[in-house]
Amino acid sequence: MCNCAAYNSDELYTWCTNCGNYGIHASIKRALADKNIKPSEVLLCFDIGCHGNGADKINAYSVHGLHGRILPFAAGAAIANKAVTTIAFGGDGGTLSEGINHLIHSIRANYNFTFVLHDNSNYGLTTGQASATTKQGLEMNSSPSGVTSDTLIPMELVLSLKPSFAARTFSGNIKHMESIFKQAIEHEGFSYVEVLQSCPTYNKVTPHEWYAQRVYDVSTLEDYDSSDLELARKVAQDVQDKIAIGVLYLNKDKKDYYSRLASRKSIKTELVEEVKGYNVGNIIDKFR
Amino acid sequence: MYNNFRSAIKIGGESGQGINSVGKALAYTLKYSGFYTFGYREYPSIIEGGFASYQVDFSGVPINSSSKNIDLAICISRAAIHKMLPELNRNGVLIHSVIRFSLNKEEALLIQKNNIKVFYIDVFTIIKAINANRLVQNTILLGAAIKLLKVDIEFAQKALGKVLNVDKKVLDLNFTALQAGYEFEIDAEVIDLPASATKENPKDDFLMLGNNAIALGAVKAGVRAYYSYPMTPTSSILEFLADLEIETGMVVKQAEDEITAVQMALGTMHMGSRALVATSGGGFDLMTESLSMAAITEIPLVIVLGQRPGPATGLPTWTATGDLNLAVYSGHGEFVRCVVAISDIESAYYLIQKAFNIAETFQIPVIVLTDKQVNESMFQGNKFTAEIVIERGLINDSKTSERYQLTKSGISPRWLPGSSEKTFIANSDEHFFNGRLTEDETEVQLMVEKRMKKETGLLKVIPDPQLFGKRSGDVLLVSWGSPKNTILDFLNLVKGDSKLDFTYLHYEYLFPLKTELFEKLVKNFKRVVLIENNYFGQLGQLIKKETGYNFKEKVLKYNGRPFFLEDLLDYFNYGRTMERPKILK
Ligand SMILES: Cc1ncc(C[n+]2csc(CCOP(=O)(O)OP(=O)(O)O)c2C)c(N)n1
Repeated sequence: MCNCAAYNSDELYTWCTNCGNYGIHASIKRALADKNIKPSEVLLCFDIGCHGNGADKINAYSVHGLHGRILPFAAGAAIANKAVTTIAFGGDGGTLSEGINHLIHSIRANYNFTFVLHDNSNYGLTTGQASATTKQGLEMNSSPSGVTSDTLIPMELVLSLKPSFAARTFSGNIKHMESIFKQAIEHEGFSYVEVLQSCPTYNKVTPHEWYAQRVYDVSTLEDYDSSDLELARKVAQDVQDKIAIGVLYLNKDKKDYYSRLASRKSIKTELVEEVKGYNVGNIIDKFR
Repeated sequence: MYNNFRSAIKIGGESGQGINSVGKALAYTLKYSGFYTFGYREYPSIIEGGFASYQVDFSGVPINSSSKNIDLAICISRAAIHKMLPELNRNGVLIHSVIRFSLNKEEALLIQKNNIKVFYIDVFTIIKAINANRLVQNTILLGAAIKLLKVDIEFAQKALGKVLNVDKKVLDLNFTALQAGYEFEIDAEVIDLPASATKENPKDDFLMLGNNAIALGAVKAGVRAYYSYPMTPTSSILEFLADLEIETGMVVKQAEDEITAVQMALGTMHMGSRALVATSGGGFDLMTESLSMAAITEIPLVIVLGQRPGPATGLPTWTATGDLNLAVYSGHGEFVRCVVAISDIESAYYLIQKAFNIAETFQIPVIVLTDKQVNESMFQGNKFTAEIVIERGLINDSKTSERYQLTKSGISPRWLPGSSEKTFIANSDEHFFNGRLTEDETEVQLMVEKRMKKETGLLKVIPDPQLFGKRSGDVLLVSWGSPKNTILDFLNLVKGDSKLDFTYLHYEYLFPLKTELFEKLVKNFKRVVLIENNYFGQLGQLIKKETGYNFKEKVLKYNGRPFFLEDLLDYFNYGRTMERPKILK
């Protein structure tokens, strides 16, 4: 049995006091331990940002990649060895600006790994500039007269792509995050998990309490059906008054990337087990 | 006996007229009839129209380059006639299927002066007679051409079967068209080819593009995933590997962009499989941040950089070797890398395999340079001689190891995520032993030096540049990439001529640069000539930076075209020393 402590590292956290990242880390450890996945059986892939500074504060095989590029890295890793559980983490800056194309195509491809979006509605590590999810009109570092662009609601974008798994959770609710992370890990395909994350330093307008007062789990709704995409799109829209969390949408029938590959149909081994010299004589002969 | 015999046939028309297929079919036909061939393709970056051509040079000895001038022109469009007429050698023959065209005064004079024969093949009457459509006019002309060349039609049939990727019905139609072209009465001379070389029989040789050989080298090396975004001149690697995916079991993925492709490759390599990416300059530019990440995380990486002329979109379908500087200096920060350049199918096949061994052994990025002239030309070969053993540099027991521990060689123990209880972090932030972040001045310095130390070991395994010829003489030629082929063909051609004594030094491993042999040799030659398919003479610049040697003589070509034989014959003041086919009355 694996316990949570196995994931503890000797390194000290460097996040601000009350940062939402603490809760997210605690929950991911609990989810992994509860699923009895050992630190050596997981690959945790971190983007660059405040959340990414937690990459070496957790004991596991981990990667700290480039800003906005963690999704394709994780995809390549997940393809290479399915025996290792792959989880990627990114901020709203890296994911929804620098590398937004990767989010779109990862959902389309339905790679089999979990992606956790740390949405704190700003660029934390570069000291509080606006991100795509910052509310329009807010005065931010480098937008002193207020953010001019429209605000993006990431779940609307994600649902428009008909994902196989889309969930939302809140960095102030460890139990909820843990439960969502576990379901995301279990799901075969691209599991999109959006965490509404408080940022006590740069996001003063939607602090912990603000979210805590507004979030509700969709499972508390009468007749909520997580296989109903239209319903999911409806509840996802409100990010101001009543904010839906939980598994908003799930499509179990969608095949994950790997199972769609004709070339891998009857192959039982992993790509990492297949590096050896191959005989290409037959192929060469076709050119004679 | 016929070492000196060389001839060239060029088919010209519009993009979309099947120029490439009939060109390849012609190369196979000539190979089946016992010649050594080289196929060179020119085409504009459009799908229909414009001027496209396929040239097959052939000889009694192996050749890997094209001549600028041709002996037989096969023209399917009016533009082709005007374009190719001036390229014909004396006594050349032009056959065409263009009903109406008019020659200007100069062209008429040229025909007279050079004794050129022009024949019209009435393909449209033939097409009607055999109940086919316009698309087979190239095959009809092929039939007429091989008749002129006195080549057995069976060879052309076999060639069409090999090259045309069509169903039986369409293939049969092409056979009919070929036969009809063959039977078309040309009231004319025949082109007399010498009997082909008898010593070795190239009939069983293979003909493949540089891109085929790159892909085959990758399959051979145990590359299990290929990620790429299409870009000429490497797109056909993607197509070829995709066509082979069921046979090889590889994951072949057309990524959403080049950044994705290279990051996916890093993910796959990090886990411990082998993944390849290939692109051209523009796509490589996008990959350079990831190159830098590969360096600091010490994740092995191999990128094929297929050069075409830039800057920017440049000349998408033409050739250059202008990205040596890009390969050597790209990526932010300072780090050790290895840059190699292939020049033909043999080097493509084995350098890809070596690239993976170097990338994994030294845990560094390796850039494999190629150029359109290699990627898309069709080379003839018989077997790949080099047998390369896979080297991965992995350790089995990681219990007492740290992933980034300091070592004498700078190479730290590497094991695969998931393979051991001992975990580590691959960190793009500066880090210490186990990958944890550090900003400590001593630790940072130690880590930088650890990674840099790899260059010493790398220089030990990198071979010297290849030497063709003696260690002293009149002229030392220095080059890299596809110009090698023209240079060697040129040397072969002028071998008997005692005017000048040539040696060629070929740089296959370009960075870090080995200079000892070069420095020894330059003292022994009267002239040292740098030959490059770019403007700066980038290898020359690199050599100068490392040795202080200043090339006084440079032959640089930067108009999108490869080096043709005539470029070197003219530069060194040789006449046309090749023996040409005879036209019989
Ligand atoms: C290519 C590149 N551009 C810019 C940066 C600088 N940078 C680092 S983190 C960051 C934004 C972080 O915001 P977010 O992704 O939301 O993560 P957070 O810090 O809020 O967790 C930026 C712009 C970088 N590291 N790389």
